[in-house]
Amino acid sequence: MLSLARVEVAIAGARILRGVDLAVPAGGRVALVGRNGAGKTTTFRAIMGLLPLVAGSVRFDGTELAGLPAHRRTALGIGYAPEDRRLFPTFTVEENVRLPAEVLGLPAAELRARLERVWELLPELVELRDRRAGALSGGQGKMAALARALVTGTRLLLLDEPFQGLAPALARRYGEILARLVERERSLALLVSESNPELLAPFVDTIATIERGEILSAAG
Amino acid sequence: MGLLFLLAALDGLAYAAQVFLVAVGLTLVFGVLKILNVAHGSLFAIGAYLASTLVGLVGVPWLSLLALAMAALAVGVVLGPVIERGLLARIYEKEHVLQLLVTFALLMILEDVQKLVWGVQPLFEDAPVRLLGQVEVGGIVYTVYQLLLLPGVALLVLVVLAWFLRRTLLGRTIVAVTHDREAAEAIGIDSRRVYLLTFTIGAALAAMGGALAAPTTSLVPGIGVQTIVLSFAVVATAGLGRIEGAAATALLIGLGRSFAVYFTPELEVVVPYLLMVAVLLVRPAGLFGSTELRRV
Ligand SMILES: Nc1ncnc2c1ncn2[C@@H]1O[C@H](COP(=O)(O)OP(=O)(O)OP(=O)(O)O)[C@@H](O)[C@H]1O
Ligand SMILES: [Mg+2]
Repeated sequence: MLSLARVEVAIAGARILRGVDLAVPAGGRVALVGRNGAGKTTTFRAIMGLLPLVAGSVRFDGTELAGLPAHRRTALGIGYAPEDRRLFPTFTVEENVRLPAEVLGLPAAELRARLERVWELLPELVELRDRRAGALSGGQGKMAALARALVTGTRLLLLDEPFQGLAPALARRYGEILARLVERERSLALLVSESNPELLAPFVDTIATIERGEILSAAG
Repeated sequence: MGLLFLLAALDGLAYAAQVFLVAVGLTLVFGVLKILNVAHGSLFAIGAYLASTLVGLVGVPWLSLLALAMAALAVGVVLGPVIERGLLARIYEKEHVLQLLVTFALLMILEDVQKLVWGVQPLFEDAPVRLLGQVEVGGIVYTVYQLLLLPGVALLVLVVLAWFLRRTLLGRTIVAVTHDREAAEAIGIDSRRVYLLTFTIGAALAAMGGALAAPTTSLVPGIGVQTIVLSFAVVATAGLGRIEGAAATALLIGLGRSFAVYFTPELEVVVPYLLMVAVLLVRPAGLFGSTELRRV
């Protein structure tokens, strides 16, 4: 479903990704594991079109995404939760979660169904719906960021270090949510990055290791 | 003394209304584009001159208010997109110093264009003020235009803008880009479109400030520069990117200036900047600004 071939990305003149090959099939659960500065976030940003490719290709369902502006990618069914949450602080949790669906211009029924799916999967957010995102704790913010990604991520979910900074209990809870999600939505593809692969073990089937902008191995 | 006080308050209110219209556009544009648009002052000046010309052209007094609105709209929808697409879109990735220089150059160019088109002789066209007549408040005869129309329009702009930004989808996309352009793109917002829309709104607001100011003053070269400097003071005092903050600060600075005019005329010009310095010394992020969250 998603495939990166020889992807090269430069930031401020420095080559950060040096020929990344990565494939996430439909229903695949892939972990992108690597140390700090290895290029995990850069890979996600390249997939979302937030950084231009110097070379290589990013394909989704066989279609080249290189020429597709970043803002048109959520319409493909891709949802992205950046590593530092990046919620809009003056909006409420609900406004943050609705916004990606609203800008897609979905029919009312479809919009409602998508939000239902999110609230159902993340019931702890329901009572926080009217809270300003800027007033959330770190863990609540992570949940809200996951919710916002889920609204458009009906086919592919990109999660950049979702466990980072979570207290152990919250990390367990977050893991449960993901496990339940992939259990329920068999064809949903998942790409999740982490510096500590143990946390991902319960719900990934492939581990890709990235080091200094190169994929070292992809093991099942 | 009491009369003087009242007069200063009324003048200050009318003045604050004009200043607010310009400053709010400046702060809105800065919030999204992250460019401090020095040429915002030219849009004010061109709006003022165009309004005078249109008012003179229509001749019929009761159409003169419409002429003011048309001038603001015309500058917004014509110059706004031309400047944003033609010039600013090329420098978003560049350094701030360069951006500042480019908009400064644009200010100079537009100032010359304005002199070419309208000349350097003072232009005075007060048909809209005469149309609305005068009323007496507390023993002072004051124009309805300055007493009610200017503050009324400013208040309306504040309310409509706040509603637009909070309650409409288009407005929320502007706020989202103000907060975090990349995150906005990643959830499906076309930031180029938001830039264009925001700059057009900002240009129209600047021109509206000019158009509304035109009937109350003689237009001379240099009003654009004067306006942008004062707007900077308002926006910096308020904290960049805050629209209610711009309103409250415009009021503070408008009143401060007009009280100075009546009570310490030698300080008239410096009072806004004294207020700015005083505020920034105590609160470097501005009265309503906060360093971590930038709100609209
Ligand atoms: N804006 C930038 N300017 C310069 N270099 C950058 C920039 N962003 C990232 N880099 C560099 O790119 C490399 C990869 O960064 P990236 O953020 O993709 O790593 P990561 O694997 O996500 O790391 P972390 O675990 O810390 O999140 C790092 O060496 C980093 O210093
Ligand atoms: Mg990272």
